[in-house]
Amino acid sequence: MTIYQKTKKQSWLRSFADSDFGVGWLFSLPFLLLWVWWFFYPFLQSFIRSFQDANFAALDQAKFIGLQNYVTILNDREFYRAVLHSLEIVLIAVPLQTFIGLLMAILVNQKLKGKGMFRTIFFIPYITSQIAVTTVFMMLFKQGTFVTDFFSIFGFGDVTWFADTRYALLFVAILFIFQQCGFSMIVYLSGLQEVPKDLYEAGEIDGATKWGQFRFITVPFLKPITFFIVSVATILSFQIYDQIAAISRYGALGSPAGATNTVVTYFYQNGIRYMNIGYGSAAVVLFFFIIITITLLQKKLLDEKG
Amino acid sequence: MNNKKIVLFGNYTLLTLLGFLFALPFLYTLYTSFVMMEDVNKFTSFSNWTFDNYRMFFTNDAYNVPKWLVNTIVMTALVILGNLIINPMAAFALAKLDFAGKKWIYWIVVATMMVPYHMILIPVFVNVAQLGWLNSYASLTVPFLYQCLYIFMLRQFFVSVPEDFIEAARLDGLTKMGSFWRIVYPLAKSSLITMSILAFAGTWNSYLIPSTMVTDPAYYVLVVGLNSVKDLFFENTPLIMAGVVLSTLPILVFFFIFQRQYMEGVSSSGVKG
Repeated sequence: MTIYQKTKKQSWLRSFADSDFGVGWLFSLPFLLLWVWWFFYPFLQSFIRSFQDANFAALDQAKFIGLQNYVTILNDREFYRAVLHSLEIVLIAVPLQTFIGLLMAILVNQKLKGKGMFRTIFFIPYITSQIAVTTVFMMLFKQGTFVTDFFSIFGFGDVTWFADTRYALLFVAILFIFQQCGFSMIVYLSGLQEVPKDLYEAGEIDGATKWGQFRFITVPFLKPITFFIVSVATILSFQIYDQIAAISRYGALGSPAGATNTVVTYFYQNGIRYMNIGYGSAAVVLFFFIIITITLLQKKLLDEKG
Repeated sequence: MNNKKIVLFGNYTLLTLLGFLFALPFLYTLYTSFVMMEDVNKFTSFSNWTFDNYRMFFTNDAYNVPKWLVNTIVMTALVILGNLIINPMAAFALAKLDFAGKKWIYWIVVATMMVPYHMILIPVFVNVAQLGWLNSYASLTVPFLYQCLYIFMLRQFFVSVPEDFIEAARLDGLTKMGSFWRIVYPLAKSSLITMSILAFAGTWNSYLIPSTMVTDPAYYVLVVGLNSVKDLFFENTPLIMAGVVLSTLPILVFFFIFQRQYMEGVSSSGVKG
């Protein structure tokens, strides 16, 4: 009797372990549980809190205030400044890193000696931490380094750009470009290697110059890849946080004097630093919609062009 | 022919120039980390080089670097471990099993991938605080034990595994669950390595999360600690550079070991980690 029960139990377990339904849900469960608690619930909370007057110190006293947070943000000049700063970084960084990445990819795609070494050199910044890179560049742009000496040739007396309200945003953009180029290079490289060789041969027979081949064969072929690179870079540069946190000392955000305040630092400052959960959440929701809008616009632009 | 030579020369010049520009910050960092304060920005002979900066970075009383190193290793190891178990399981279910609700789960994975983490940072912070997890390893690891992007990546791989493999395993007496652990999981080795590399870099380098969830310097990770050392000793360039070298070294070593997989993984996924 006991033996019979045992085998019966085993076969029940066994058929469970062999069923698509049982194993499917069992295997998805760890992910789903974590996801519900650490993504889905917070995601909903971001929207709910954005309609509340909620402070971290007294969350149980949070009360519904409708669109008040949004109205306040949209009447805050600092917010518009932050949006402008974010867009500035995107507009400087994205085209430059795309161009440099393409240039790098074309250069290391040729039969040149040492191309492997150059690939590594270009790629390494991408895998180092943003904080480390920012720290190194701050040390480089301090007074008395060879960088300072170099720029003084062109009449720049002071290149402590990270402390200069006019250049701090540019500094952040440069940091982003320095790191992101390697990624774009790698992706372009995989694209370049897929351009059919006979296309170039056909072009050569038709008398196309090297530039003509590049312009009318390579560029159109790389179009979907370019779109991918541009959209990744746009989203990432819009989300920049580490570099901005690091260029100011002692954890102040947006320094010098708010010159590097972006949409991200705006929500972080209000939501986490000032612990104004409701207001910060409303800023985050706006941030989310800005990103979605930009992505959709880019997609539409590309579709229209063909 | 002459024209070709000019092009070649131009290519090399451009390449060298760009390479120099990109290598310079690293060479400067490495060099400066080995010289004394008074030799910064000067060329000094090898005999004047010193390990003092490294020693000072590790043993300074103002902070506890060995503890930070331990924190970083614990955080990174736990996150990778979680990702190595939870992601492949879900990915396998989505790729090889047919069950009610699967479409929903797949949709969840894809949609979550698209949402920037900033979007949920504030509620996650509140969540962590209410659980009493601020300044703990839990806040740095538990929310990151899975990653939808990696589930998606692994699913792509599992789809390519022939159905026959699983059927053959079942004929030999394994269940579907058993065939996953015994057959499919070991087959996915290279995909799992790629995922681990990406997760390693992403976790080791992360700043936003550790700097939000941890305010007690005892629970800092290296990247956050490095940032505070930089603020505290801003004028001491060699010390800071030693810190930069030490905190990026593990990533670089890892990179040189797995270079090919690393680059392939990055270009196919499009993210750091």
